[in-house]
Amino acid sequence: MTRQPRIVRALLVSLIVALAVMSAFPFLWMVLSSFKTAEESMRTPPVWIPAAASLESYGAVSDVIQAGRSLLNSAIIATLTTAGILVTSIMAGFAFAKYRFRGRDTLFGLMIAAMFLPPIVTLIPLFRMVSEMGLNGSLAGVILPNLANAFGIFLMRQFIAGVPDDLIDAARVDGASELRVVFSVVAPAVLPAIAALALFAFVYHWNTYLWPLTVLQGASEDYPIVLSLGRLLSYNRGAMNTPLVMAGATLAVLPPLVMFVFLQRFFVDSMVSAAVKG
Amino acid sequence: MIGPAALFIGVFVLIPMALTIWLSFQDWSTQTPFGTARFVGLRNYHDIFSQLSVGRDFKAALRNTALYTALSVALLLPLSVLLGLLVHQRTVPGGQVLRTILFASYMVPMIAVALVWSKLFAPTEGPLNQILGWAGIGPQPWLSSPTTALYALVLLNVWQQIGYFTVLAVAGLTQIPAPLYEAARIDGAGPVQAFFGVTLPLLRRTLLFSTVISIINAVQVFEPVALITQGGPAGSTNVLTYHIRRVGIERSDGGLGSAMAVTLMLALIVAVTAIFALYRRGDRA
Repeated sequence: MTRQPRIVRALLVSLIVALAVMSAFPFLWMVLSSFKTAEESMRTPPVWIPAAASLESYGAVSDVIQAGRSLLNSAIIATLTTAGILVTSIMAGFAFAKYRFRGRDTLFGLMIAAMFLPPIVTLIPLFRMVSEMGLNGSLAGVILPNLANAFGIFLMRQFIAGVPDDLIDAARVDGASELRVVFSVVAPAVLPAIAALALFAFVYHWNTYLWPLTVLQGASEDYPIVLSLGRLLSYNRGAMNTPLVMAGATLAVLPPLVMFVFLQRFFVDSMVSAAVKG
Repeated sequence: MIGPAALFIGVFVLIPMALTIWLSFQDWSTQTPFGTARFVGLRNYHDIFSQLSVGRDFKAALRNTALYTALSVALLLPLSVLLGLLVHQRTVPGGQVLRTILFASYMVPMIAVALVWSKLFAPTEGPLNQILGWAGIGPQPWLSSPTTALYALVLLNVWQQIGYFTVLAVAGLTQIPAPLYEAARIDGAGPVQAFFGVTLPLLRRTLLFSTVISIINAVQVFEPVALITQGGPAGSTNVLTYHIRRVGIERSDGGLGSAMAVTLMLALIVAVTAIFALYRRGDRA
């Protein structure tokens, strides 16, 4: 690369800074507003920096919704769903990568097609099926339909295909069962990809809204945090509730955001490999 | 090995898919078992495209979704390439930090994003109109007017998703061999010519993937509509995911809702097939 003139460099730096500020602005506004008093949040023109960091709203969130319980529900949903996705994806990914069987490519194609299906297309019968299983209004109803995931199978197949066959055959010669081969030989060899999938699944199921809303309607004890947030908005409608809503949003955003910031290498790599190899 | 995954995907994706198609030809209340469904032929399809209010609402939702999707794609793709170039370049530092900040918004719950933006859009006490005021632009009604609400939702969508598509663009850019730029430079191409002659053509596969994903993501818009606008004002943000759920779950008209869901799926298949066909034709040219 030839050295760029100073003016070009200065322009590039200002462009990057401006875009970063624009992109981060809603987050900054969210956090700042959560510390405002109700009166400050209603002023025109808007107050940017609150006079004092009021923690009132964070206390109020717990009065309006059971914030602790909601966060726990979110954690339960995201953790159990992720565990299921890991087990089913590693096993199926292994089979698609290393077994030869009739109809393999057709079956794989069918799963990939399922990956692109927007959830609304199957929502109505799925809702009915889960009610007939007696799981409406329960966390089990939220979790059960999501225990396998086409993206996970796809990702695992891509990475497990790169595990040397010799390694697998050596374990078989030692008398290991196929399940043992998968979980104690193959899985450790693709650990970074498994970590990526775990993080991706956890964040996705922490954030997802449509399905829990449909299954849990009214069962507010079992609401994950994303559903409870809606109840904050209907509390004291209007500008009055802004700090309350912002405090709730901050609580819901923090867990996935913190995970992302610390583990972003995994996230981004898995996204990219899905796109590049796809 | 495939058993568990095939069982779950079969039971919770493929069977519901088949049921949706079957139910679209039935008169059926979502409150009752599947056995109560009564075959009505094409009547549901006839109704959702009729001049009845059912038909008018559905067609409006289809139009709103198409507009929302088209605008989202039209903004996301060029922006993702531009931002991808900024993240990818090594002339000045800051690219990686920009990527982290852009991608962070893709990782947080859409519902929280919708709440925050509803406050940013607030006409008097929100910061967006204040910032526009500094630039000498008058206040906008954003979510409170039927003429602007859908565009405000597009803006929110672009903000949330741009990080993901930027990362895809960067992945595409890293795959372009450096000697090609070298050759272009020797041939006397400036940066602009190199962009149109080398970068853009070699990003075509990435852009194809990004187009398909951004369409599929855009038709799923739900949270800001369900929570903030409820389809309004005056039906201007009534989009398909919201409308299908309202008809099929809240009003329990499972047959009509399923016919709408099948129509959405067919529309997606047509759109994606057309995009692939365009891509292939471009390949031959």
